[in-house]
Amino acid sequence: MERGPFVFGIRHLSPAGAYFVREFLDQVDPKLVLIEGPSDFTELMEDLAGEDVKPPVAVMAYTKELPVRTVLYPFAEYSPEYQALLWAKEHGCRRAFCDLPSDVFLGLQAAREDKGGDEMPGGKGQALDREDEPGGGRQAIPGVEDEPKGGRQAIPGAEDEPKGGCQASPRDKGQTGPGQRGTFDVYRALDEQCGDGDHETFWERTIEQCRDVSGYRRGAGEFGRSLRELELTMGDRENRENLVREAYMRRRIREAVEEGISPEKIVVVAGAFHVEGILSADPAMSDKEFLALPRLESMRTLMPYSYYRLSERSGYGAGNHAPAYYEYLWQGLLRGEADYGARRYLSGLGAYERAHGGLVSAAQVMEAERLARALAGLHGSVIPTLRDLRDGAVTCMGQGEFSGLALAVADTEIGTKIGSLPQGVSQTSIQSDFYEKLKRLRLEKYKSVTAAELNLDLRENLRVKSRNAAFMDLERSFFLHRLRVLNIRFASLGTVSQDNATWAERWVLQWTPEAEIQLVEAVLKGDTLEQAAAFELKKRTEEGQGISFLAKVVAEAFYCGMPLAVHGAVEALQAMAVDAAAVSEIGDTIEQLSVVLQYGDIRKLDREPLVPIVSQLFLRACLILVQECACDDQAATALAPAIGKLHQAVVAHQFLDRERFLAVLGQIAARDDLNTRLSGTAASILLEMGVMDSEELGREVERRLSRGIPAELGAGWFAGLSSRNHYALIARLTLWEKLSGYLDTLDDEEFKRALLFLRRAFADFSSAEKDLIAENLGEIWQVNPQQVSEVLNDSLSEEGMEFLGGLEEFDFGDI
Amino acid sequence: MSDTNVQRLPAEQLFQKELDALMETETNPVPEGWRMSPKSVLTYICGGRCGDMEISAKYIGNRRLVEIAIATLVTDRALLLIGEPGTAKSWLSEHLAAAINGDSTRVIQGTAGTTEEQIKYSWNYAMLIASGPSKEAMIPSPVYRSMEQGMIARVEEISRCASEVQDALISILSEKRISVPELGIEVPARKGFSVIATANTRDKGVNEMSAALKRRFNIVVLPAPESLEEEMEIVKSRIAQLSGSLDLNAKLPQEEVVEKVCTIFRELRKGATLDGKQKLKGTSGVLSTAEAISLLANSMALAGSFGNGTITDYDLAAGLQGAVVKEDSKDQKAWEEYLENIMKKRGSKWLSLYEECKELNR
Repeated sequence: MERGPFVFGIRHLSPAGAYFVREFLDQVDPKLVLIEGPSDFTELMEDLAGEDVKPPVAVMAYTKELPVRTVLYPFAEYSPEYQALLWAKEHGCRRAFCDLPSDVFLGLQAAREDKGGDEMPGGKGQALDREDEPGGGRQAIPGVEDEPKGGRQAIPGAEDEPKGGCQASPRDKGQTGPGQRGTFDVYRALDEQCGDGDHETFWERTIEQCRDVSGYRRGAGEFGRSLRELELTMGDRENRENLVREAYMRRRIREAVEEGISPEKIVVVAGAFHVEGILSADPAMSDKEFLALPRLESMRTLMPYSYYRLSERSGYGAGNHAPAYYEYLWQGLLRGEADYGARRYLSGLGAYERAHGGLVSAAQVMEAERLARALAGLHGSVIPTLRDLRDGAVTCMGQGEFSGLALAVADTEIGTKIGSLPQGVSQTSIQSDFYEKLKRLRLEKYKSVTAAELNLDLRENLRVKSRNAAFMDLERSFFLHRLRVLNIRFASLGTVSQDNATWAERWVLQWTPEAEIQLVEAVLKGDTLEQAAAFELKKRTEEGQGISFLAKVVAEAFYCGMPLAVHGAVEALQAMAVDAAAVSEIGDTIEQLSVVLQYGDIRKLDREPLVPIVSQLFLRACLILVQECACDDQAATALAPAIGKLHQAVVAHQFLDRERFLAVLGQIAARDDLNTRLSGTAASILLEMGVMDSEELGREVERRLSRGIPAELGAGWFAGLSSRNHYALIARLTLWEKLSGYLDTLDDEEFKRALLFLRRAFADFSSAEKDLIAENLGEIWQVNPQQVSEVLNDSLSEEGMEFLGGLEEFDFGDI
Repeated sequence: MSDTNVQRLPAEQLFQKELDALMETETNPVPEGWRMSPKSVLTYICGGRCGDMEISAKYIGNRRLVEIAIATLVTDRALLLIGEPGTAKSWLSEHLAAAINGDSTRVIQGTAGTTEEQIKYSWNYAMLIASGPSKEAMIPSPVYRSMEQGMIARVEEISRCASEVQDALISILSEKRISVPELGIEVPARKGFSVIATANTRDKGVNEMSAALKRRFNIVVLPAPESLEEEMEIVKSRIAQLSGSLDLNAKLPQEEVVEKVCTIFRELRKGATLDGKQKLKGTSGVLSTAEAISLLANSMALAGSFGNGTITDYDLAAGLQGAVVKEDSKDQKAWEEYLENIMKKRGSKWLSLYEECKELNR
């Protein structure tokens, strides 16, 4: 007869485990239920088992210090741990988590990554090595450091989204998933041996489909034992950590027994891998050993979770590749219908297909089920596994092609379920900050699932008394921009028509449960939204490649109303600006900064620090612009807009060296050895700024478009000239006279060449503009402008198209 | 025993020993109308062990697809194998029928000239005129016979048949009976009856299968071999079988030769070198694995009849030229580009083949 304490070995997120653990608890009727999970999470148990909690939810512990490390325990409704917890609550039974406290987990995680590797912080290595490492304890484990595996990384402060892989969950060890090097080979070997193609299917077929509690317990136990045997022979540090954890769990059991609970009345729910370790006769962890473990101060919170996130972590013990499908299995167990999962899954696929325009009949769903059953039969079983079902569906509904069903499969297997917690249960500091701000900024009514528009006027509202109210909209804008920077999808910025762009913003606000998750995760970056946003901007500043990227960060910081972040980014920008950069990049940078400079006062920020840097970059651009203009057409395409941006900056800011810029442009416009398109562009800017008059323009046109100069160069110049301000050109009659004169000088062959380029140059003139050109030409040629206009605006005849098509193939010699 | 004078023996005779062994050691339940259990069929096709006998793999590739095909037939649904030419559709279909029924010869070859009578039944007109309709005057089709006996009928290249002929299959597959109004009888299908059809993706649109007919099939798409190794494996095993039955009087091609042919075929098929670093122009032909096999058999015949019995690069070049350059003049250019850009730069191992090919491609 088995004697207590009883250990129920499970796999995390296993519906059958969740179902049978309840049955097992009914049988044993314990006084204490211990559940694998950091023991300090026990204080969150009551909230976790609350009636209004809708799984999936997760418990997260995180360090306050940088780099932020996390431990995450997600629970779905079909998590055995969750069901065990609910059972204990329903039966008024004592319950606790019994694994190492989360601060130790985080400490171990840090120690593992410690570059030196050979010494635990504070020389506390012994506790780890006590049990199984004869003398090897202080050595670096090769391969631990150089493996950038998900499970080993601290969240480097904060990524855009703390993805599953970054969070080292202690669950990764032992039960499932090729997450670790140690387990990887074991699982691959299993994949090859089990005859089912992969170990997930093997688990589902052999253990998930068990029909009674003892079968499940035996099967899972055997699975865990075999894994353990294989892994312990590999002697990885991971496993030493497992041993430490088990020693601690034994300590917790011993404590309970010492309190007077009989071992027969204790049930431990833990990963199947640990069953043997928990029951082993090795000594439990002593006080001294416990105190010697490395620790990192940590915070804990409950948070809503989603099936999508669970599925992202597939392969890890804490993940599940098909959460929605597993929920169907769970419902099937509750209903007592073994094949409910299969039926629900296939009809789900069919329903999705039909809803999205596919043609899937009920008959096909039935055929798919029959085929899945036959496939299961080939493997000596009756109930199809997910793999059988999917293959059956692809064959019978997808006409043999997976691609046709891929969306339906993703939707049906993963699902869109998002968990929720009652208001107030999940209260990280950043959430309190968020809700407090929401209230203060009177945005609470926007926290709804229907999208609502919010128009902000950033100017001071002079009709209200308090300063707070006067700048309410500006504060709102800062708040929403910070959320945007943190990738919390609550508000999205709409476009505002150009004329009121400086003071107006249009936001679309829509609350999603997903946003709550993102909000909780943002706590890893800081305690308040402002701190988190500052952290995010600082990270971007540090990562920044290139000055235009940094300029973007400056702009973001500025939108967020965070002077310190602006300052930091500007400093980084300054440092980088010393290095040479191409004009096109300087152009982008100046454009970004220019916006900040122009509209800065509305956001009440000091823009002074930007002035020197913009001047500096502008000077650099002026110095190198002429050389850069000696380039091919492809480079010119990138350079032309940059010149335009510099021009805009000159117009907008008095402090920029206007004379120098004009001199540079003059040089570009005059020189013949540069790219002619850019020379044309420079000329057009000079024209716009009133530096070049009509007479000079006429001279220039004559010179550029004279006979003997290759037509493509002349036309290229004209294209550059006409690329900017169409009306400035149209208004100058001399220009058209010269152009007309030029065309007259060309012989047939040259004309053909010029035609192609000129056609391109005029391609983006509007028809109204073409009318005006027609008037000009009409005047020059002494013909009726209307006729010319008709010809100009008429779409090409087929003949004409053919002719031009022929020209495209034209041999342009060396260009 | 089988007759060795036959050019090509049906699968059930070629592999009779393996089939007998599997049937003898059968321990799993056998579906009605089948000769062995689905598991044994899988072993027969994908290879494995049966007692102390090694069962050779007939289909090398995705085992799961074979599982799906067999499971389809267990559920008495019809099976449709779709794939590029030369992806072993007919091969798989033949072996499935051979393993399940021991008779892979009930075949209807789909052509533009296939008629509805060939699907159902036709008449011996002399007898029909002389003595009126009778059972004796009727000539049952392979499908008809299969229904009577509860066996598997094969329809090759179903998408080449005219649509009215395809439609004749619909009622057979859904009603599972053929009525003969002339005799006033109706023949129900016995358990075990099913149809394995094959269709070619390159024929898409020739006679598009109706949705109604497609619905009656479980569709399995057979892919081209996934890796070079897999394809070489297929080619080698098939060449070994062929050279036995064709008396080619030549040694089996060396590993290196098979590798060269498979490499060229795969690269031209994919339009990129095997390492994916270089793009190249593909050809109009399919260049299937089946063609690689026949190319090598052809080269062996050349070597055996006119050479010293070992495939030389000269023999190979002749085969390659024929396989790669089909009627299209573009193929010739693509082949030349391949020779100059890829093969020439492959080093000494490829040099003599390159020169032979270049010589022939003028």
